[in-house]
Amino acid sequence: MNRSLVTSVCIAVSLLGGVLFGVVAKAEDTLPMTDEHIARIRANCVDAQSTLFQLHASDAGLRVNRGQIYESMSTKLMAPFNSRIVLNRISDESLLTTAAQYDQQLAAFRQQYQQYEEAMSKTLDFDCVAQPVAFYDSVTDTRAKRQLTHATVVELHKTIQKYGSEIDIYAKNFQADKQ
Amino acid sequence: MSEEELIADASHLTGWEKHRFLVMIGASIVIALMLVAVSMKLYESSGAAQLDLSRPGYEHVNEKVTPSEVFKGFSAVGELDKAALDEFQKMYSKRAGQATNVDSFGGDVMNDAALGIDAPVGEPTQPAQ
Repeated sequence: MNRSLVTSVCIAVSLLGGVLFGVVAKAEDTLPMTDEHIARIRANCVDAQSTLFQLHASDAGLRVNRGQIYESMSTKLMAPFNSRIVLNRISDESLLTTAAQYDQQLAAFRQQYQQYEEAMSKTLDFDCVAQPVAFYDSVTDTRAKRQLTHATVVELHKTIQKYGSEIDIYAKNFQADKQ
Repeated sequence: MSEEELIADASHLTGWEKHRFLVMIGASIVIALMLVAVSMKLYESSGAAQLDLSRPGYEHVNEKVTPSEVFKGFSAVGELDKAALDEFQKMYSKRAGQATNVDSFGGDVMNDAALGIDAPVGEPTQPAQ
């Protein structure tokens, strides 16, 4: 009984210590915001929100346009080609692996864009004059999520090019085998 | 059956039997509301909301969306020969060019300075209370 009580207390203290350490570490990472900075945010935030609103709308259109193309790369090109080489029993492991990698990145892109869009909607809903610091933090969070989405887009582009290069190699080997 | 007999029959009905029609309507409304709530939750969590440009405030964006062209893609069946490979390579390089020619979500449009919410230059480092 006593032993389990002591164990429970130890676990609770460890968890509390971990949480406190995290809070302190996070506080040290963030520089304190000055009164001047807060005043500047309060003065310019309505214009900033207007800019963000336009960015939000244009990104929504971009998501639909780019999304259609990214989806078609997988569903109308990579997947059918891979099926065809498997059916013809001249499969290539690297093509299958790259297509699977692309699908994973595409799923990550959808998820990251969704998180970015939700963060942006939250930022736009802020009463930034009344809550300038919270608005600033929300902008920082939204920016980080947009950068993450961009990083995934860059990865998608690399994978598209990689698959293209592998197709070229596959075609050369295919011709060599036929001759 | 006379009116008196109907009244006499009705007097024997229980509370449930007297109000079951109202209860049915109420239950239908509650079930409909629950289904709407579930649908809305799925609409938001699935990512469909982000692709829905018919939402209020997105009408002007909807006009800028390129209509989905009829892209049949590559056939998954058939013999794989030189002609098929050439066709695929041509199709792929064209589509890959369209996919990679735009640096989506890039740039630095969200930086503090661009939004005018950066820290003033040379400000005193007095923390806010």
